[in-house]
Amino acid sequence: MSNRRSRSRQMGVSRINDDQIADLVSKLQQIIPHNIHATCSNKVSASRVLQETCTYIRSLHREVDDLSERLSELLQSTDTNSAEAAIIRSLFM
Amino acid sequence: MSASQQLTPTNPNSALKIRLAYRFLLTLNTLNAKKPPNFDHTQIHRRSHRVKIAAYASMASVVGPKRAWSRAILWKIRNRGMLARNKKRIHRISTPIRLHRHHARRRRNPNRVVHVDPFVNSGLEVKLRKLVPGAETIDPCGLLDETADYIKYLATQVEVMRNLVDLYSTI
Repeated sequence: MSNRRSRSRQMGVSRINDDQIADLVSKLQQIIPHNIHATCSNKVSASRVLQETCTYIRSLHREVDDLSERLSELLQSTDTNSAEAAIIRSLFM
Repeated sequence: MSASQQLTPTNPNSALKIRLAYRFLLTLNTLNAKKPPNFDHTQIHRRSHRVKIAAYASMASVVGPKRAWSRAILWKIRNRGMLARNKKRIHRISTPIRLHRHHARRRRNPNRVVHVDPFVNSGLEVKLRKLVPGAETIDPCGLLDETADYIKYLATQVEVMRNLVDLYSTI
């Protein structure tokens, strides 16, 4: 990928950038949880995808905060050794 | 036995989940070993903050230094003492130092033209750069790549934490 970039700087940056950006935007679109608006998914604009990405990242951050709060409360009230062993076992099953 | 059958997961996402979960539990364990059991209200807030830092740190250390966002997270966590102290100083002596560093960086890469903006909407790009750690100085293509990777790991980490909370609350 670095070779492609150095070659593109000599030819013209904008041409290669458009293709790469279209690929990456479609990849982002697949990762973000699908909403109802994705009926005509070819025509979803890059700005819409970026907007959804931003909101999705913000919601993920908020969830991490919330979950870490709950986890800290729960950790306080349980004995870690027995619980951890049970969890690791159940994660592998 | 179902445990031995599941040792080789065909789904790569579950392999990632197991790695993240293992690392997160390790970090949590060292966290628990250190702290004294206090039941203050201030301690609760501090403990949840430590759990959050443990989550981000374990997520970033699973990836290692391969990605810009993981490097940025690890750097921020390692230097958060220094950063907290510098925040009080930066309000007094902010702009001259920042301009000096910015000019030094420009002189090192004269060929690199970063201001070419293939996005029609630079407002969104700025927002994205603020949300993804370590994404302030990447070119726009790399930015999207980093964002996709960051979202993947972050979503898996959230799933791991959600499973842990469910498990702990039923024990």
